[in-house]
Amino acid sequence: MKNFSKILSKKWGGLTLWGSLIFLLSFYPLTGASGIQLFTATQIFLWVILASNWNLIGGMTGYLDFGHAVFFGIGAYTMGILVTNSSLAFAPKLSFWQALPWTGISAVIFALLIGWATLRLKGAYFSIAMLSTFAATREIVRILRPLTGGGSGLDLPPVLNRPGEYYFMLITMAIVVSLMWWIRRSELGMSLVAIREDEVGAEMRGIDTTFHKLFAFAVAAFFTGICGAFWAWQNTYIDPDVVFFQNRNIIMIMMCMLGGLGTVWGPVIGAVLLYLLQDLIWSNLVDYHLLVLGVLLILLIMFIPYGILGALGNYDTASIVRIFKTSNKTKAKIK
Amino acid sequence: MTQLLQTLINGLLLGGFYAVMVLGFSVFWGVMGVINLAHGEFLMTGAYLAWLLFTSFSIDPFASLLLIMPIMFIVGFIMQKFLLNRLLERPSLATLLATFGISVILANIHKIIYSADPRNVPVSYSGSFELLGLSLPLVKSLIFVVALAIMLGLYLFLQYTRLGKAIRAAAQNKNAAKIVGIDIEQVYAITAGICIALTAAAGAIISPTQAIFPFMGQPFTLKAFTITVLGGLGQIPGALLGGMLLGMAEVMVATYVPGIGTNLGVVISLLVLILVLIFRPQGILTGLKRMPID
Repeated sequence: MKNFSKILSKKWGGLTLWGSLIFLLSFYPLTGASGIQLFTATQIFLWVILASNWNLIGGMTGYLDFGHAVFFGIGAYTMGILVTNSSLAFAPKLSFWQALPWTGISAVIFALLIGWATLRLKGAYFSIAMLSTFAATREIVRILRPLTGGGSGLDLPPVLNRPGEYYFMLITMAIVVSLMWWIRRSELGMSLVAIREDEVGAEMRGIDTTFHKLFAFAVAAFFTGICGAFWAWQNTYIDPDVVFFQNRNIIMIMMCMLGGLGTVWGPVIGAVLLYLLQDLIWSNLVDYHLLVLGVLLILLIMFIPYGILGALGNYDTASIVRIFKTSNKTKAKIK
Repeated sequence: MTQLLQTLINGLLLGGFYAVMVLGFSVFWGVMGVINLAHGEFLMTGAYLAWLLFTSFSIDPFASLLLIMPIMFIVGFIMQKFLLNRLLERPSLATLLATFGISVILANIHKIIYSADPRNVPVSYSGSFELLGLSLPLVKSLIFVVALAIMLGLYLFLQYTRLGKAIRAAAQNKNAAKIVGIDIEQVYAITAGICIALTAAAGAIISPTQAIFPFMGQPFTLKAFTITVLGGLGQIPGALLGGMLLGMAEVMVATYVPGIGTNLGVVISLLVLILVLIFRPQGILTGLKRMPID
């Protein structure tokens, strides 16, 4: 484990490790993996992307977003409206690749509009404003029947191409995590961390905090929107309840907390572990699935608030100082 | 004119319920600085208890308050004592996530016990009576009266009893309260118990008018947050005013904006929340304690 953190702390170490991992993963469909195995892998990649995106705004910038799945829903519905064959007021019947850019763009536009209002709120106010945004958007989508099909949802054209889906998500994941790695080391990322640690101080040092926050929010929204669009395409059916699914918010947050908030690799590790754990719980005790997750969330907060990377003693990489800063007394207890 | 008056009356009745619904949330936040995201789920628990008592023992939901409140007091006491008190040293986001976890646990426990089917409490007196040409639903009027009584009770308790004074002292200055010998953790646990009992009571009294299902809680949490921000923190008059305003706004939109119906409550409360936070973060009543935006 010590060697692992040593590699990560070298200048290009993390990206090299990541590149080789992606290279190895790209051979997986050639080994004769079955459709369901490829599907599971695709879902894991999807969650790695979602968790990394949440981490950009929640972990690095320190704005805990309790409604991030709203961008997932916006992306999914944009895809649904653009490709569907049903008789809606507006149905251009584009193909997947033609519709894909618009899903990201619509999520970004939504993020800029909502972020302009909510990002000026601090701490818990932001969290709850985003939770409200999430719930409100679900109701609005349910009411806009001519555009979104209302409560009965939309049917997308059915497709089945597991290797294609696998490669699409693999490439997107490679891009997103590399981008996070770059952001974390760039001046932009330093500014975001500065905002997290002390927003007023950051502003006084000449950092344009509004611009940086909105930028991080928009980037996170863009890829979350793409994920939502992909999910809608793969699922071939969307309605307000499956797309604006409350648990998606919770699971994104838990993945980041499990791995280590504010680190580049924490969400990746957390997403893989939590997805496998969820799969295990799901296949053995379906009814208790969310109950177990809720208990796990509380145990995480009480006992390892720094996540796995933090618990490995990697305090510098896992600095979540403002979010879970403890007084010296409790810090001594944790150690 | 009659329609306007009728709408105002409906808004008033809804607002009275909102005011008592928000008390638990508001006092929890004001005294302990904890935003209880499981608020709606505790309300749902109260509603389910009322349903259980009604169907198994045919106890009236309003009478069942006497049983539900002590039970939920113990639940809140235990939650604060063994979970939240340990997280108070950390910043508010730790308790925020913890209560988020509690809300998930509560909703899913109820789903496992009662299944996701909606339940209702069909009380025998569900008609309405006429007053000055306006029709007043009997159950909703009763809810309004009970809500006012609960609020008055809480106000007298906080204002005049020794324990109430200790709670207010703990809210005003934690360290000074410790110095004068108040056992702060015990006071916090008792406050949490009272808040959860009040929330469950709100759930029990709303049970005759509302379908009860495990995931009904979230809109209530969001509305409680909006009302608290509107009215100011831990303030009983503020809660009353904020609840009335939100209730009026909801009923007005449902009546006068065509083609929308009553499902837009959450959207309205989001709009109100954002407007208030941008233009008047200290709440609408001046001279009260300013919101601690950290």
